[in-house]
Amino acid sequence: MCNLLKPALECRDVTVKFGDVTALSDVAVSFVPGQIHAVVGQNGAGKTTFARVAAGLVQPTAGAVDVMGHEIRTGKVSVSRTAGVELVHQSFALPPSFTVAEIMEFGAIGKGGIYSRKGLAKKWRGHIADLDVQVDLNRRIRDLPIETQQGIEIARALVMDARVLILDEPTAVLSPSGINMLFARVRRLRERGVTVILILHKIREVLGIADTVTVLRGGRKVEGPLPIAEVSAERLANLIVGEAVAQTLDRHERDALVGTKPPSGEGAGHPKNAKSPSVLSLKAVSTRPDSEGIALDGVDLDIRPGEIVGIAGVEGNGQKTLVRAISALADLAGGSIVLAGHDVTGKPLAARRAIGLRIIPFERNVEGLSLTSSLWQNWSARKLLQGSLLKVIRPSAVREACDRSLREWSVHYHNSAQKAGSLSGGNAQKVILAREVDRDARLIIAAQPTRGLDIGATAFVWQALRQARDRGAAILLISSDLDELFDISDRVVVMLSGRVNGEFHAPFNIASVGAAMTDAAARVSA
Amino acid sequence: MKDSLVTVARSLIFVAFALILCALVFQFAGYNAPLMLWAVADGAFLRSGAIEQSLRWALPLFITAVGVGISFRAGFFNIGAQGQFYVGAICAAFAAEALKGGPAFLVIPALIIAGTLGGAVWALWPGLLRLRSGTDEVITTLMGNFMAGLLLVYVTSGPLKDPSGSGQQASSRPLDEAYRISDSLGISPTIIAIGAAVGILMWLLVNRTAFGVLASLAGRNGTMVEWQGARLWKLGLSSFIISGALAGLAGTIEFMGPNGRIASGFLPAHGFTAILIALVANLSVIGTAAAAVFFGGLASAALYLPIMAGLPAAAIDIINAAIALFITARSKLVDQVLRLGGRPS
Repeated sequence: MCNLLKPALECRDVTVKFGDVTALSDVAVSFVPGQIHAVVGQNGAGKTTFARVAAGLVQPTAGAVDVMGHEIRTGKVSVSRTAGVELVHQSFALPPSFTVAEIMEFGAIGKGGIYSRKGLAKKWRGHIADLDVQVDLNRRIRDLPIETQQGIEIARALVMDARVLILDEPTAVLSPSGINMLFARVRRLRERGVTVILILHKIREVLGIADTVTVLRGGRKVEGPLPIAEVSAERLANLIVGEAVAQTLDRHERDALVGTKPPSGEGAGHPKNAKSPSVLSLKAVSTRPDSEGIALDGVDLDIRPGEIVGIAGVEGNGQKTLVRAISALADLAGGSIVLAGHDVTGKPLAARRAIGLRIIPFERNVEGLSLTSSLWQNWSARKLLQGSLLKVIRPSAVREACDRSLREWSVHYHNSAQKAGSLSGGNAQKVILAREVDRDARLIIAAQPTRGLDIGATAFVWQALRQARDRGAAILLISSDLDELFDISDRVVVMLSGRVNGEFHAPFNIASVGAAMTDAAARVSA
Repeated sequence: MKDSLVTVARSLIFVAFALILCALVFQFAGYNAPLMLWAVADGAFLRSGAIEQSLRWALPLFITAVGVGISFRAGFFNIGAQGQFYVGAICAAFAAEALKGGPAFLVIPALIIAGTLGGAVWALWPGLLRLRSGTDEVITTLMGNFMAGLLLVYVTSGPLKDPSGSGQQASSRPLDEAYRISDSLGISPTIIAIGAAVGILMWLLVNRTAFGVLASLAGRNGTMVEWQGARLWKLGLSSFIISGALAGLAGTIEFMGPNGRIASGFLPAHGFTAILIALVANLSVIGTAAAAVFFGGLASAALYLPIMAGLPAAAIDIINAAIALFITARSKLVDQVLRLGGRPS
């Protein structure tokens, strides 16, 4: 078997350009077979593009890809799959109405024919069991917990006898115990001789699982594959953010940004005003079920001025409904909401905003901004809604105020008439900050405020939230990134199945927060 | 202001394409195309009295088109201007019956208000259906056009029937001369003043009020405005009501001005031409004024075509349809032309 000597996957000087944007630039890297390789980098470093080139989803502008020593045609999924390269996407791409067995048959590119549910289940039972996924093969994907869905994604990728399995950010959606399960599964794959490439962005996870690590930054390969024994967390952190940026960040912040250590939240622990009255007080809030997510079930929550409360939880456990309930965008079935001393239960969002509610919503490009409208219109919407609809405005004056505000928030833009869609993610988020984080803000809801942002922009958002907190605003931070939550929250509340399933104070214990995120007992009683 | 005129100028290039296409069609159909184009220009603007005639058509079209633009801006495709125009005229006609004999300085404003309200009501119910239960306003407003058209037939051959009518076209009894706001030429200081007032007020509403900015945001991304605390139904319903009211006002002007009565099936293309005007103007108020003058010219030329070029007046409908085709294809065409210019994508 000369295959063992040849790299399992080799990229030779791969360059990918999307229009004027260079996503990958002359990336040359080769992976030894039978090992676990980590590819790390911050958002926008080109990790996902790299994975998509290897899987044949993206046609590189230049360069070649070899699998097991043979050059393959690039930009064709079928070619990459036949060669043995499989990709598990960041957001799972399983059709929700399919059963587990149907997914397996579908993934195998069957020859057609007549199927029976029983026959399919029988055919694939062995395959699923081999991978240690505990699931009934006739269950539908939409009814399965996220960890199981991921196991099925991996099983689907392996039905074609893949030799190179690429997992794109597989830990992003998992609880800490789910991550341990995933890593155990990946190690077993290594024993079976599969070459696993993990796209990750937490150093802690890299050091815990990988045999080698490759670092990408700004579309270029910085280093790698380095044997894991030869790199320290310190060095890896600097490689990821770059020496120049590393100098500007305080050490603690840098560690939280790249997930160097298990998060503990030592740096938080802001002095609390335990005596001052709550800015937000939810009492037994329940919502009516609707199509946008799981309903809240008797949620109690108090936030005091000058406090950052983080909401932890596996995505889809009611975080979005919580934000919608506080924002008067979900129908309450019971309970009361008191905001800054006013009972706002049943009051519209406009009334809540008037007494200091501010929202950085989940979906920046849908709920946060109108991408085809101008910057000044986007920026002014909140203030315009405070007065009468017939209030006369002078656009030139509004644009001047907008310019002042955007400059203050160091947004990079040409002029305020340009469309919001022309800004990068980080700049777009700064426009939202400029609109939502003002001196009259009493409660700021920050929902996934750093998702998809690079390190500079992430640090900027954190700083903005801390400054608002120091001015006395209360902040409700929803994030699926525990490092982020632990770093800047004074208190963390865990949500599970639409309920509050635990509350933690700094220093945080990742194991107990993680257990609360997936507590089996709570699920049964729900 | 400059921007909106540039937009209209750019749209007019597509209008020119449409005219060229029509000229080719007419040429092949055996008519004299250059003569036809000359007849259009002559009938619209050059002949003595042509400008007045063009304005007579342009003013009601402008009023309706501004309203259409308001609802399109807010993201609602109210294509029921024709029906709202009819219902406005019908309400004004009923009010005229009821107030017969009253002093003109009271009756005239009352008729105008009645017609405007009638148009608003005819836009209100599709608006409510859309905002309360999500019923597609394109379908309801379109159905509203047919209902209003049939209502007009009923009213002119029933309750308001003119007994001395010829029987060829059912029509209402003529409006008392004292309450007319123009003679049959259709252009008078009152009508010009109403048009100007609508133009100024709507320009202010769109460009100088919170409503203008928020409605335009809501039209592009309603979700975002909702997260800002706006009540979408308030913005949406106001837009429906304003657009219906203006179409009703235009119907009232036609009734109280040039027509002096309502007749079944009168001005059957008014509302649709207004939609076309709003689209040519890219929904800007100033652009709408410019485009309305152009289409008013075409309407005026329509009466003149049979005499000058031997073409049926329906030729203008063909020209309008061709313009609609090109305007609808506009953005796609611009995209493609730019891509041919060699930008890698």
